[in-house]
Amino acid sequence: MSLIEIKHVNKGYKLGEETVPVLKDINFTVEKGEFVAILGPSGSGKTTLMNIIGCMDVLDSGEYFLNGRAIHEMRESELTQVRNKEIGFIFQNYQLIPTYNVMQNIIMPLLMRGMIHKEAVAQCQDIVKLLGIDHRLGHRPNELSGGQKQRVSIARALASKPSILLADEPTGALDTTSGQEVLKLFCELNEMGNTIVMITHDMNVAKSAKRIVKIIDGELLAEQ
Amino acid sequence: MRMTELLRLVFMNLAQNKFKVILTSVGIVVGSATIMLVLAIGTGGKVEVAEQFKNLNAGAIDISYEVNAMEFERGMGGNRGGMSGSVGLPGGGMPSAGGMPAGDFSGGGMPDFNGGGVPGFSGDERMNQEKIVLSEDDMEDLTVFVPNISDATISYTTSSDIEGGELEEASSYSIAGVKSNYMTISNMSMAIGEFLSEENDENKEKYCVLGITAAKEIFGSVYDAYEEVIYIDSRPYVVSGVLEEMGTVASGISPDTTVFIPYSTGIKYITGDDVSPTITVIADDVDLVEQIIVDIETVLSDSYANAEFTISDAGSKMEAASKSNETLQLLLVAMAVIVFIVGGIGIMNVLFVSVKERTNEIGILKALGCSKKDILLEFLLEACFTSMLGAVLGVMVSLGITPVVESFSVRVELSVQGAVLSVVFGVITGSVFGFYPAYKASTLIPVVALNQE
Repeated sequence: MSLIEIKHVNKGYKLGEETVPVLKDINFTVEKGEFVAILGPSGSGKTTLMNIIGCMDVLDSGEYFLNGRAIHEMRESELTQVRNKEIGFIFQNYQLIPTYNVMQNIIMPLLMRGMIHKEAVAQCQDIVKLLGIDHRLGHRPNELSGGQKQRVSIARALASKPSILLADEPTGALDTTSGQEVLKLFCELNEMGNTIVMITHDMNVAKSAKRIVKIIDGELLAEQ
Repeated sequence: MRMTELLRLVFMNLAQNKFKVILTSVGIVVGSATIMLVLAIGTGGKVEVAEQFKNLNAGAIDISYEVNAMEFERGMGGNRGGMSGSVGLPGGGMPSAGGMPAGDFSGGGMPDFNGGGVPGFSGDERMNQEKIVLSEDDMEDLTVFVPNISDATISYTTSSDIEGGELEEASSYSIAGVKSNYMTISNMSMAIGEFLSEENDENKEKYCVLGITAAKEIFGSVYDAYEEVIYIDSRPYVVSGVLEEMGTVASGISPDTTVFIPYSTGIKYITGDDVSPTITVIADDVDLVEQIIVDIETVLSDSYANAEFTISDAGSKMEAASKSNETLQLLLVAMAVIVFIVGGIGIMNVLFVSVKERTNEIGILKALGCSKKDILLEFLLEACFTSMLGAVLGVMVSLGITPVVESFSVRVELSVQGAVLSVVFGVITGSVFGFYPAYKASTLIPVVALNQE
């Protein structure tokens, strides 16, 4: 059983009276432990695909199974649970809550599943050490560099021990060095057994992945 | 999410937006202070009414006769120079004037009332034009013919100059001519000495009992007044006792500032027949007051056909005072509610802005798996605590304002219940008005919220 199984998925957005198709008959699978890059230019539908994989958006038709569970049949409350337990998001612009410090941002998914503050902090100690941000835990996001912010974002994604790490242009807002560091980190995390799906428009970034899936005009073209 | 963690987040958010929180809660501060003061002023009014009427017997019924302006003029025209009495008209055309004892008005005799020689008026009509002076005989008629009356008394008030004690010059005081049973009927009690006796009244002795304020004004203290002499209209009266502090009592007298003298003594030395006495009867049962009033009217109409007496019962007076106080309180509460609504709308507006500002944060929380319920609760709790802070500040403000309000002679009775109610109302207002923005926040679509700049 594949970790992610997407069958004949279609998705469109309404523009006035018309529906503009964004994803057209997408078929796609990701196995456990894979590091897959979805590569495509701007407007190709890769972010929409990521939103569907991340259970943040619903598909118009088709089927989506995550760990064997039929996501396409779930209600919003169930999707919320899936997002919290199965998916770790890493965003291009980090999406950290500016009023919380680093540790508060990292433990947030754990608190959401009912863990108490102390337990959550204890569970995240190894992760913050692994990502080299253990000396910045009391700082607010605006006191961190871009690379550090992305590490915090990765730490938050890892904190809930998800089935899949979903990264949307993770190096898009970083300088080359920081970008390379993040990609190296992704490779290490994948080596440790984490499944990663990364979305990018940059072939050089995509090359870090073990498998590249191209998407153009809402259609998956080929796999490399 | 656990409630403790949710509360931690709420307090963190509030602590990081102190200025906004304080500004948001201003409406609730005003509303809460208003409701606290409204309740305190309302309670103060109630206490004042209660104190004023604390000695008033609920079964007491006062009967008096007042000449209204129209009747007075008609009486003047129809019987010019022929009437004497408390209205102070000179002359003595009426047979009873000057000499006839008050009791002669009763019983239905009064032959001279008919045939008065004023064209256009029948005898009955003229009855209304004449000065009617209620008498001890009327009182006795009532006690005999009206059932369910346990006691009755008659009294009058006038004012007169008093000298003596520490008074450097003559001062005008209210003088009440009363019977010996007045004290019991009015639930009064003595601070020192004894009340006027029946013998004092029968023998027209010059004794008096002072109200506590009058005693202090004239002699400096209650004890200095006892068995001393005061001069009423330059005649010496021995102070046989001083009353304890009282409120208003039967027949509407305020005893604290009054000097009580025997009924007959006053008529002999001070008023003459120039009095408008009030008969006070006590009903056996408060529930029978209405029937007793009807019976009194019937008995009096036998003596004074077509005369309209003012009959008021203490219960109605208390009820009227309470009702007017309640009406005032209701008005003030309405005002407080309006203030609260305005404050609530303020909170709602600020929360809407806050939701708009924090849309991206809501998107992040949703992406991380925060449930709709948790987001709703977080925003709702923020509204609750903001309004609670406002309500507590409002209570403190009202404590600060109280001395200012009191300086305008308004009685303010602050209470813990009032404070609790203000806070509860404040929190409810904040929660009610905060619900919709919180609900809107909780229903945001994750992708849309996340991409909001």
